[in-house]
Amino acid sequence: MSATNRVRLAAGIAGAALIATVAPPATAQQEQPQPSKITVAYKAWENNLTPFTLTMGGLPTSHDLTNLVYDTLFWSQVKEDPEPWLAERADPSPDRRSWTVKLRPDVKWHDGMPFTAEDVKFTFEKMKNTTGGRYSHHVWEYPVFESAEVIDPLNVKLNFRDAAPTFKILPGGDLPMVPKHIWEPIGNPVTSTSTPSIGTGPYKLVEFVNGQRYRLEANTEYFKGKPKVDQIDVPIVTDAAAAFAALQTGQVDTVDRTVPPELYDQLSNQPGIRVVQSTRMESVHLHFNNTKDPLKDPVLRKGITLAIDNQALVDTVLLGHGRPGRDGWTHPDSPWADPDGKHEFDVARANRQLDEANYRRGEDGIRRSPAGQPLQFNITVAANEPQHQRAAQLISQQVEAIGVKMTVEAIDPATLRQRRGNLNYDSFITNLESHAHADPDALSFFFHSPVPNAPSAGAFGAYANPQFDQLVDSARRQIDNGERKRLLVEAQRIFAREAPALVLFYPDGNYAFRPSAYNGWVADTGHGILTKRSFIPGYEDERADAVSAGDSQSSPPWAAIGVVLGLAVVGGGLFVASQNRKRETYEAEEA
Amino acid sequence: MGNEAGSVSTQVEADPERPSNFHLQTDNAWSGLVPVGRQVLRALPLSLLVLAVAICLNFALPRLAPGDPIDFLIPAEQANKITYEQRMELASSYGLQGSTGEQFVRYLGNLAKGDLGTSTRYGAPVSELLADRLPWTLLLVGTSVFLSTLIGAALGFRSAWRRGSASDVRTLTGVMVLDSFPPFFVALLLVLLFSVTLKLLPVFGALPGSEAEGLEFAIEVARRAILPIAALTLSGLGSAFLVARSSAVTELGEDYVTMAAAKGLDGAGVRRHARRNALVPVWTVGMLNVGALFGGAAPVETVFAYPGLGRLIYESVLSRDYPVLQGAFLLIAAGVIAANLIAELVYPYLDPRVRRPGTAGS
Repeated sequence: MSATNRVRLAAGIAGAALIATVAPPATAQQEQPQPSKITVAYKAWENNLTPFTLTMGGLPTSHDLTNLVYDTLFWSQVKEDPEPWLAERADPSPDRRSWTVKLRPDVKWHDGMPFTAEDVKFTFEKMKNTTGGRYSHHVWEYPVFESAEVIDPLNVKLNFRDAAPTFKILPGGDLPMVPKHIWEPIGNPVTSTSTPSIGTGPYKLVEFVNGQRYRLEANTEYFKGKPKVDQIDVPIVTDAAAAFAALQTGQVDTVDRTVPPELYDQLSNQPGIRVVQSTRMESVHLHFNNTKDPLKDPVLRKGITLAIDNQALVDTVLLGHGRPGRDGWTHPDSPWADPDGKHEFDVARANRQLDEANYRRGEDGIRRSPAGQPLQFNITVAANEPQHQRAAQLISQQVEAIGVKMTVEAIDPATLRQRRGNLNYDSFITNLESHAHADPDALSFFFHSPVPNAPSAGAFGAYANPQFDQLVDSARRQIDNGERKRLLVEAQRIFAREAPALVLFYPDGNYAFRPSAYNGWVADTGHGILTKRSFIPGYEDERADAVSAGDSQSSPPWAAIGVVLGLAVVGGGLFVASQNRKRETYEAEEA
Repeated sequence: MGNEAGSVSTQVEADPERPSNFHLQTDNAWSGLVPVGRQVLRALPLSLLVLAVAICLNFALPRLAPGDPIDFLIPAEQANKITYEQRMELASSYGLQGSTGEQFVRYLGNLAKGDLGTSTRYGAPVSELLADRLPWTLLLVGTSVFLSTLIGAALGFRSAWRRGSASDVRTLTGVMVLDSFPPFFVALLLVLLFSVTLKLLPVFGALPGSEAEGLEFAIEVARRAILPIAALTLSGLGSAFLVARSSAVTELGEDYVTMAAAKGLDGAGVRRHARRNALVPVWTVGMLNVGALFGGAAPVETVFAYPGLGRLIYESVLSRDYPVLQGAFLLIAAGVIAANLIAELVYPYLDPRVRRPGTAGS
């Protein structure tokens, strides 16, 4: 082969490679989704979906799929009085330290074995002996489980160390029941990723490809009725932009994550796609280091939060798709929220209070603490959370008005975790889902003073206030719902006054789907739309209402810009190839 | 390695006749080669030493970063409640208990048995995770390294022959513009164009639904690989192009080229000789890329939800998954060392000046 020919071949291959990217594929059309099958883009691989091996530590994951395969005794933990699920009823002893749970008689595990009281006893005991995992803390801490007695196959008595008045909520509404016959022989369940995932839930896990996808099939004998969708394909799509692009092309029917604010208008105006609201009660919040001078002074912390304009954060960071945070932490939709809770934004008052507390401005305009330390702090954020970074930047501008300098510091998330634990920070921004706001125990989870010598005592700011501790402790043991709420409201007011942390905003949970594939989605507060209630009969009247798509806004320009740039790239490549081909002819003549 | 090749070539006195004679001498030249076996034996101790150093670094590097894997196994609401004993118990589930020294001894012992440990993020054996991801990475990155080297070199040589012409400037500019786009950006543009707008290719994934079998399955896998491969190829074109172009330009300035032209050899003939000599650096760069291949291509894998090693490593760094990081780094180190070894063994076939027993090892 002559040199020219070889070069020609190379150029030909180059051209072919470019052309191959535009050539119509062999099987051009995507198969139309059948009504009984839907595809859901999921954001992270969750091992084999068992309650033990599910990873929910520091990664942005969810347990939505696990909740389709497994059931809890009640559902769900965001309700004041959760709906009986695997349990028919649960009756407490007068002191609330024991609960007698009566189970539904018609429940079977996916492998056909009956679900009995032995399984409930086993689940509590196994969780108690397991460190780590998403659920075990419900058994060894909130509340402390002590023993279980099987009365008969359908009745089991659970005993706790202290009064557990909210048993139906936690652990009842959040602890998935696991089969004794599968897990009994397994020594360390946390690493047992080859154990078959057998639950009682509306869907069976029938296939999974490590890191790539799950396939769920309807459990036709589900005790609450046959699920409406026969098969759910769940590819793992880690990138949000890719997941929503796949929804736009119809490659998936819904995405198990909230619509990013910048895509909201585009998606809600696109024919064939509907966007609905179903909050997960998530929130983004700023935590102070409550042990460090001068931030351990509540007057200073309150002064800083008074200078933060939450509404401006919602408008800028969420483009309006959220609610401003409240000073009392608890989500406004939670049954335990202070009805009068709000965020106080008052720069004049902040300045006045700081003046009164002897925080004097220096010549540079920055205040000094009474001990003379300049009020200069870092806001540490995870480098992979752009929303947190934007919020931090706005806050650092807002607090200039009260003579406080806050510098944004973006670091790797694992480093942030370690520094949080070690109290090696001034303040940081993080986020949490429903568990953090809806549970009656949430204030105690996060803001009760840390246990002595806990290695990660500072994970949420190490706030310590004996009066607050006493309120949340008595709320946990309080039998009367009304009285518990009164105690929790009082705790929220202390929280609002002392500002150990500030919720910046509660993002709206906007979920997008293709109604032509499936239209039965239910807005299950605290859980988005990928929830068992969306698939089983009886919840039709709780269907998610479509967000109005009437006001047609101009389409965001980035898509157009992207297409133009894309054309430029490919066009440029073709141009280069064609130039070379032209040269080749010229060169052949020359030679 | 590139330097070594360069130093070898300077030691050989220029012989204008030789290049044009090589294709005639080929058969005799093989007999002068150092036997491959002996060459491997000579290079192996160094490679093993590098591997041993890599094994130690693989253990140390993840642990030098702040944070640890146990943090990621504890749900947020437990973080400020968990005691030291509970932490240690959790660590022992993954064989991460004890002091760093004890962990290192255990790590070496397990490695000797071929046990890479258990992932803290995925709960699965590390060897299984790596074996799952490796074929996809080889398909994705392997194909694109091959294509970008081939296309880049072809364009580079053509530019070199036309150095300074409008065509050269245009190609150079085009390739430099492409090269300066980050791969994930090229990937997103390709998705917007070919998936969202033209609806020709799938947006993400490596595998089709399980209905597809046989040929249909292969086609579906290929369709899903086109965009990621194209993104990686386009953004990888630059290095091969630049190396090929500059190395060919250098060769064209050599005396033997002038001599050959003066003797009346036509343009194509001159370029054939120059190209052969210019290929050595291109080969070196290509082989270095092959070594990097085992590291995957995290940004593009992320955009296309492709189950490659890059994404695995990225997620493992985020969760400080020591066992996976150790295993993946070991794989990368082994890949780079093997690629270098192969590159070295192939040099004599590419560049006859390295063949002679006297000069090969010097």
